[in-house]
Amino acid sequence: MSSGWKAEILAVYRKELQTELRSKSGLVTAGLFSFVTVVTISLVLFNKNVNAPGSGLQDISAGLVWVVILFASILNLPRTFLLEEEQGTADLLRLFARPHAVYWGKVLFNILQVLGTATLVSVLFLGFTGTRVSVPWIYVVSLIGGSCSMAGAVTLCGAIVAQAANRAALAGAIAVPLLLPLVQLGVTGMRAAFGSGLVGGGQAAAVGLVAYAAIMLAIGPWIYAAIWKT
Amino acid sequence: MREALRALSLPAERTAAPPRIESAKGFAHSQKGLLLFVLRVEGLGKRYESRWIFRGLAFSLGAGDRLVVLGRNGAGKSTLLRTLAGLVQPSEGRVELPPEPRRSLGFSGLEQALYPQLTVDEHLNLAAELRDCDARADELLDQVELAYARELPASKLSTGMKARLKLALAIQPRPQVLLLDEPGASLDEQGRGIVEAVCAEQASRGCLIVATNDPTERRLANLELRLES
Repeated sequence: MSSGWKAEILAVYRKELQTELRSKSGLVTAGLFSFVTVVTISLVLFNKNVNAPGSGLQDISAGLVWVVILFASILNLPRTFLLEEEQGTADLLRLFARPHAVYWGKVLFNILQVLGTATLVSVLFLGFTGTRVSVPWIYVVSLIGGSCSMAGAVTLCGAIVAQAANRAALAGAIAVPLLLPLVQLGVTGMRAAFGSGLVGGGQAAAVGLVAYAAIMLAIGPWIYAAIWKT
Repeated sequence: MREALRALSLPAERTAAPPRIESAKGFAHSQKGLLLFVLRVEGLGKRYESRWIFRGLAFSLGAGDRLVVLGRNGAGKSTLLRTLAGLVQPSEGRVELPPEPRRSLGFSGLEQALYPQLTVDEHLNLAAELRDCDARADELLDQVELAYARELPASKLSTGMKARLKLALAIQPRPQVLLLDEPGASLDEQGRGIVEAVCAEQASRGCLIVATNDPTERRLANLELRLES
C-alpha cells in the first residue's frame, strides 16, 4: 500500500475519531446500552449458578453476550455513512477522496468501536454474572473475529442504504442475511468457550468468524466503490 | 469584453416534454476551449423522473476561460455545477475533466456542508491529506481573511465565514477547473472582493465556471451561458 493510500485512509479514520470524540453520541449510546442491558441480565440471573453443567444457562449466556454486542453496535455503526448523507458532508468526501480510502477509514473506525463495545460488554457480563470462560482462546478469537465481521457487515449495510429513500426497510432486508450467520457462528463459539458446546465446534466457529471478517473486509471496498457516486 | 459564442450543439431530437435548457447566446465552445480544452461537456443532460432539468449541453473551456451560468431559481444552475463536479450523475452525455479531479477540480457550493465538530484548520488539513496536496493553511486563510477563526469549529462559524472556508477548500490544490455556485450569496462586500480576486487568479491557471443569479457577478466571467425554464 502506497503512502498516499495510507495517509488518505488515516485521514478519514482520524476525522471519524475526532468527530466521535467531540460529539460522543456513539460512545454514550453504546456504553449506556451495554451497561443497562448487562445489569438487567445480571439481575435476572442473580443468585443462579450460571456455570452449573446441564442448567442451560451457559447456552443462554452465550446468546445474550452476542445479542448485547449486536444491538450496541448496530445502534451506531451504520451512522458513519448515514450521518455524512444527512448532514451533507458526503459531498466533501466525494470531492476530495477516493472511495476505497473512505471505506477503509470508516471500517477501521467501526472495528475500533465494535472491539471497544465487545470488550466493555465482556468485562461487564463476566463480572456481573460470574460466567466462567473455560476455553479462553476461543472466547478471544470469537470476540475479535465477530467484532471485525460485524463492523465489516454493518459498515457495508450503512454504505449501501445511506443514499436510499426507504432506508429502514432496505437496511433490514440487507442486514438480516448478513448478520444471522455471524450471530450463529458467534454463539457457537461462545458456547464452547463457556464450556457448554463442543470445543471442536467452537474452534470451527471461531475460524469461521475470522473468515467471515476477511470476506466482508475484502468485498466491502469494491461494493462501496461501485455505489460511490450513484 | 464578452466573447461572442456560437452554437455548436443543440439537441437533435426533441422529446414530448421539451428540453428545459435554452441558451440565450448559444451553447458555448470558446475558441481557446476548442483548441486545448481543460473541461469538455458533450450532450450533457439531467432529468429527474420525466422532467429534464437541462439537456443537450455541449461546450468546452480552455485555460483562461471564465464562464458565468445565469438563470432563474430552479433553472438548473446548481445541478449543472454539481454534475460537472461529479456529485450528480448525468442522465445522458459526459463530462471530460483533467486527470485526478480531487486535485484538478475545486468546487464550492451553497448546499455543501462542513463537519460541525472540525475546526477551520482541521478542514484544510483533512482536505490536503485526502487530496495529497499541500495544506497551505496560512496562505489560504490569509487570502480569504479567515485566519482569526482558524481554531473555531465549523458549527461556530457564520454563513459568510463558512462560505470563505469553502472557497479556501476549493482553491487549495490550485485546481485547473474551479466551479463556484453562487459564490457571493452570503458574503459581505469584502468577501465579494475576495471572490473577484480568486476568479482573476483562476484565469491564469485554468478555467472557471460561476453559477449565479446576481447580475453583478457577470463581470467575473468572459463567457455566458443562460439556462431558461
